[in-house]
Order: sequence, then C-alpha cells, then structure tokens
Amino acid sequence: MRLLAWLAAAVAIAPLIGVVVAAFGPGRADIAGADLIRYALTSVALAVMVAIATAVLGSVSAWLVVMHRFAGRSVFAWALALPLAAPAFAVAYGYADLFDVAGDLRSWMRAVPGIDWGPQMRSLPGAAFVLSLAFYPYVYLTVRAALVNQSAQAVEAARSLGCSPTQAVFRVGLPLLRPALAAGVALAVMETLADFGAVQFLSVQTLTTGVVRSWFVYGSLEAAARLALPLLAAAAVLLWIERVSRRGRTDEAARARWRPIEPVPLTGGRGLLAFGFCLSLLTLGLFLPVGWLAFNAIDISPDWSRLARAAGTSLGLGLGGALATVVLATCLALSAERMPVTARISSLGYATPGAVMAIGLLAPASLLWQGVPGAVSGLGVGLMLLIYAYAARLMAAALEPVEAGLTRVTPSMVAAARTLGRSEAGAALSVRLPIASGALLTATLVVFIDVVKELPATLILRPFNVDTLAVIADNYARDERLANAGWPSLMIVALTLPAVIWLTRKITASRPGDPHGPD
Amino acid sequence: MHMRTNVIFSIALATLLAGCSQGGSSAPAEKADAGVVNLYTARHYDTDEAVYARFTEATGIRVNTIEGNADQLIARMTSEGAASPADLFVTADAGALWRAQNANLLQPTMSQALDTAIPANLRDPQGRWFGLNRRARIIAFDSTKVQPSEIDTYEEIASPRFRSRLCVRSADSVYNLSLVGALIEAWGLEKTAQWTRGVVANMARPPEGGDTDQIRAVNAGVCEIALTNSYYYIRLASGEDAADRAVTQRVKLAYPSLEGQGAHVNVSGGGVAANAPNRENAVRLLEFLAAPEAQTTVSAGNNEFPANPAVPAPPPTDAYADFTAHPMSVALYGPRQAEAQSLMSAAGWR
Repeated sequence: MRLLAWLAAAVAIAPLIGVVVAAFGPGRADIAGADLIRYALTSVALAVMVAIATAVLGSVSAWLVVMHRFAGRSVFAWALALPLAAPAFAVAYGYADLFDVAGDLRSWMRAVPGIDWGPQMRSLPGAAFVLSLAFYPYVYLTVRAALVNQSAQAVEAARSLGCSPTQAVFRVGLPLLRPALAAGVALAVMETLADFGAVQFLSVQTLTTGVVRSWFVYGSLEAAARLALPLLAAAAVLLWIERVSRRGRTDEAARARWRPIEPVPLTGGRGLLAFGFCLSLLTLGLFLPVGWLAFNAIDISPDWSRLARAAGTSLGLGLGGALATVVLATCLALSAERMPVTARISSLGYATPGAVMAIGLLAPASLLWQGVPGAVSGLGVGLMLLIYAYAARLMAAALEPVEAGLTRVTPSMVAAARTLGRSEAGAALSVRLPIASGALLTATLVVFIDVVKELPATLILRPFNVDTLAVIADNYARDERLANAGWPSLMIVALTLPAVIWLTRKITASRPGDPHGPD
Repeated sequence: MHMRTNVIFSIALATLLAGCSQGGSSAPAEKADAGVVNLYTARHYDTDEAVYARFTEATGIRVNTIEGNADQLIARMTSEGAASPADLFVTADAGALWRAQNANLLQPTMSQALDTAIPANLRDPQGRWFGLNRRARIIAFDSTKVQPSEIDTYEEIASPRFRSRLCVRSADSVYNLSLVGALIEAWGLEKTAQWTRGVVANMARPPEGGDTDQIRAVNAGVCEIALTNSYYYIRLASGEDAADRAVTQRVKLAYPSLEGQGAHVNVSGGGVAANAPNRENAVRLLEFLAAPEAQTTVSAGNNEFPANPAVPAPPPTDAYADFTAHPMSVALYGPRQAEAQSLMSAAGWR
C-alpha cells in the first residue's frame, strides 16, 4: 500500500520536478523588468480581488441560507453551488460578449435609451468579477458545512454571558467560521491561479503571459520555467494556508452535543432582500452568462456528430480521470499520517497555472515518448498519459474530501481491526474505506467535474483525433468565432450539471452525526 | 494487496476507454504506415475536414490530426523529439512557422510542384515551410469619418491625425509581431520604434480582444481605424449574421502601402516535420494543399487569399483580392520577432 502511496506522490510531483529542472537551464528571455513587475502585480491583484469577493459572496449566501428562513431557501441551499458546472472560460465568453462595447446589448443601449456605458469585462476588475462568480461556490460549500456543523450552544452561551446578538456573531460565530472560510477562499484562489482560458480571453496579462512570452516569442523554455517558480511558491503558500486553517475545526465532542441552530424567519422586505440576493448570485453566476451563450448559439448549426464524439470523450476521460485520481489520492491519504509533507506537495498541481503545468507535464511525457518505442503514437498510451495528467493536476481536489472522510475513522477502530488479525491494507479496506465511502464518491464527482472543464493538459497531451468539448470551445474562441464556442460550452454544462446537483444535494442534506455525510 | 487491484482496475478502464475510441471513426496513428499522414495543425476550420477527406479520396492516405494552438504544438513536438509521429506541421502566420523552424522541428522539402505553385517570397528559402494561403494585415476604417487617402501608408496609422482613434489588439498576437518585424525589415529599428510609440499614443483603449473585436469597435464609435487581418473583415461582410454584415456597411477596408510597394502580407502554411515517419505522404499532402482544388476550397471556407497565383480567389473573397501585396519575403518576419516584442513592450504596447 505504501508503494502505491509513493506512486501517487510520484505522479503528482513529477511535473513540478520538471519545472524546477527546466528552470536551471541556461536559456534567457529579454522580457523587460517593468513588464514582469506589472504581470506579477496583476496576478496578485487578481488573487486578492477574487479572495475578497468570493469570501463575501460565499459566506453571505451560506449565512442567509443556513441561519434564516425565507422563500426559496430550500432550493437555494443546493442551487447556489450550481455555477460550479459552468467552466470559468464559458462564463468569460458569455460576459465578454454580453458587455462588449460593440455587442448587441451595448449597441441597443446606445441606439434606444442613448446610454453609452457598460461594465468593462476585458479588464482586471472584469476578470475578477467573472472568476469570483465562477468560484464563489467553493466558499459557499465550505462555509455552509461549517455553519450547519456549528452548534447553537456556542452562540447561546455567548448570549448568556451578556453578548448582544451582533456581538455573538462577531465574537463567537465568525471566529468559529474562520477555518472554513480560509479553506474555501484558498480553493477559490488556487483555481484562479490555475485558470487557463478565462483570464487570457479577457485580455488580462498575468505572470502566465510572461511564461508564454518567454517560452515562445523569445524561445526560452528555461526562462519560462524560472518565471514559473514564484507561481509554484505562491501555490505552496496557499496550500499551507488551507492546511493551517483546518486546525481549528470542530471536534467529535462538540458534535455529540450538536443541536441545529433555529433559523431566523425573514419576513417582508428582509425576506425579499435575501431572496433577491441569492437569486441574483445564481443568475449572475450561471443563468446570465450561460443563457447568453445559448441565445447566441441558437442560430448556429454545429457539426453535431463531432460534438457528440467529443462529448463521449469528455465523459470517458472524466470518469477515467476521476477513478484513477481518487484511487491514487486514497492510497496517499491512507498513508498521509506517515508522509504528511509528501501528501502536501502532491497537491501543488492544483494551484499551478496551466501554462506552467504544461511545461511540467511535458517533461515526464517526453521521457515516455522518447524512451518507449511506439508510445508516442499509441492511442492507449496517449489516453493513459492524459489520465495521468489529470491525476497530477487534480490530486488535491480528491485528496481534500478523502482525507476529511478518513478523519471520521478513529484510531481505535483501526486498532480493533488490527487486533482482529487484519493487515494494514486489510484494515483500510474493511474499516476505513467503507466509513469514508461517501467522501470517496464526493471526491470522484469533484474530479469528474474538473476533468470535463480541463483545458491545458488536454490541449497539449491528447492523442490523434481525440477532442474534448473544452478543446473544441477553446479552438472556436481562438478563431474569434464565439457563437460557435457556445454549443460545446453548453454541452459541458449539461454534462457536469447532474454531477454538481447530485453533489450539492448530498452535501446540503448532510448533518453532523450522519454516517454518510461528506464532512 | 487489494489496493493493487484498484489500480489494475483503473488501468483496465483506461485501456477500455482506448478501445472504445478506437472503435469509433477515428483511426489509430501508426508509425511508418504507408497509408497515413499525421498532421499537427493549429487551424481548425470546418472546411479542413472536407479537404482532408478529398485528399484521402484522391490518394488513399488517411489523415490523423491533432489540433491545438501553434505554440502548444511546437512544445509538444519538441518534447516528442526524434520519436515524434508528426509528419506535417500547419499553422497560421509566418512568425509561428518560423518558431517551429527555429526549434529545429522542420526539415527542408524539395518539390517541383510546391516551388511552382508557391511564389518564392511566400516560403522559406530552404523549403522548411511553405505559405499556403495569404492574408493582408490592413486597416478597417470608419467611412463616415476617415477618407481612404488618410490611411494609404503604414506611417499614417501612427500619425497624430489618429490620436486616441486607433483600435489594435495585444502585442502578444503573432500577427502584430510579424507586422512590426516587417516594418523593422523595411524601416530599421529607429523608425519602427518611433512608429510603435505613435501607435500606443493613438490607441483609443488598451489592447483587448481579437481583430474582429477591433472592427466591431470601429462601428461602435470607439475608434476610427483598426488594424486587422483581411479575412476577419471578409468573414463579417459575408457572414450569415445580419448585424455583422451591417457593420461592414459603415466600416470599410483600406490597403495601406509599405514604402510604396504594397500592403503587408502574411501567410498560413505548413512544413514537413524534422522526424516525419511518413515523409512522402507529408509532401503529398502539402502539394495537395497547394494545388488549385484545395486552394479554392480553403479560401472559400476561411476567406484567406490563395497563395498559388494561378488560383483566383473564389467568392466572396474575390471582391477584396484586388490589391498590391508587398513583395517582401515572409521568411524575414520571424527572425525579427524578439526585436519586435522588445520595441512594442518599450513603447507600452501591451
């Protein structure tokens, strides 16, 4: 079993080693220092803006839905996570086109009401807006889970000690939420750093732009890899934050006396306000951008057979990638207490920018292609390589829920199994995994959703005549045929939506003490 | 022990997946199979598939493709090294073709048919790549505000006449890098540096979007002139969307001249991969793409001009094909790319 854990770690770490090795090469690129500073500042500004916006949107919506009662609350409870189904690049296509200065909406506004104003989507704030809407569900889900787990007792105790309701929220409620909030925001920021299609489409130049320029305009892979190092460091810091933030989580003892918080009914204007907030969030995050893409795609008659083939490929790769990733992540999680640092480093791929990951993934791929005769053109090898790439990129996405699920297993349970004569692997299989089965399913769905939306690894590693929906959408967008990119984007949403709905309903239905809860 | 079965299961699943896809219409790539050509292409127009189908029909050679953007394909071919199954690399822009050439990914091709079909200035002198379709990088202008005579040279794009009235995309676009490379070739570094500063001063907004977005912005009144590749304009003018066609009622196309010798022209094209396992087939596909039938189909599909001078542009592109093209060799753009990027960056062209 340990062997498999090391294998999992090797899979995830190989690309990072690839980047570091490349960085020590001799090449150079004459990118101006001022440009580099601007790219770096833009990257930081984007991360900070997304962090703040997702923190506010995610926690306010979770707070409304858990702590209050208003019209539509039970639907919003799971529906607020639905924007996870839409790839960030599709949201970017939708908004950029909707608010384009020469687009239908702005043209109409100029002609009829005579207003020549609209939000500038192809800008840093625009990109922050798009990514915040695409990623706030991460914060929503983690904060929501924490709120549901929060026992009414803590707040009541604060009240009985003389706190006003507001004071109770700020002095007890919020500090208790801090770990969940930090974890959710870290996920959102990691996704922001790793984003490939959206930021580039919105003409925002981040450090990734610098990586691409060094690599291709100045022809220096080495210089590009050196630029990638600070990005890797940033990813590592985020992972560390996410890790540290978990330390304050509620323990078993509190769970035993858990009592649900009685929701406060919101009536009249306040209820309407809460309803309006949740509805606008869902509209802005999913219905508006995706609806606009759909509206524009109506006139287009796409090559259906090609799209159907691509949908099949996306589905197959999604399932294969999810299974492989979760199996590897589970092995890693089972051994995590003995190799904690390795487990952490294995998560780095998740927060690594697409262009950087491409450098890293090509290194081990290159060894395979050049080392094994025939490997380079074999379809099976090609698909295996892709699945490997997904595992390397998305290990963290699977590791998180699996590890959380395994913490439900107390050491005494494993010890009991061992005394009864089970081997370490036997105990894992007969005790630990069954208890964590809900978490394993969660992990599988999360990775599936991410694989179907995945771009950089698929673009650079896929075998002959294999296209995914994401690749086709990206090709059309690059050709400046946005209306054509609508159909594949919509099909991605259709493919991931059932998984997202299933996932969020399961999460929202869970309560502390529920053996199948995702925790 | 049982964990191992899980891994075996996942491997089995991956193999199964592979089997499924093989069962479909896609053909597996087989090295040195006489009946195959492996194409790495950065072009993905719907007519491409029709052209490859015709090629297969005419020669019996099946076409396997990996589509991507040029830089990704170059990175991949580099990683594949001598084992690369790539036979033919096809992309837009001589600057991108040069990147592949510069990475030693292409090999010289001696072909009488290609040398006859493609003019010398539209291909690499050593035959490592050949232009197959032409596009001009020219000006879309607001015909209600600008006279064509005000933009009949490239210098005028940077002139004070158009302060804050120009729309242009990012310096990251290889189309812009190749244009500035050509200007350096024609004018030298000093004058081109001055020109890039003028362009930045003339920008009506920071660069955003693609060429199509610039043309639409002219129509929306954001700017009066925009730099664009010819086919984007022709696509709008002849498209199915009535609103797009309406754009080209007000926005017209002008062909500025470089040193009085004609408009800046670029190519999309292809070259035989350095380690091509099916070299002969790659050459045959290149020759097929340079021959009249494919030249016409591709031009009709994506609104580029044929590179083969014997082939007239089909409608609707023919209406825009009557212009003088600068005779400069497109092979000169690539080597100037890094200089161009540095000049543009120094001028503040993002």
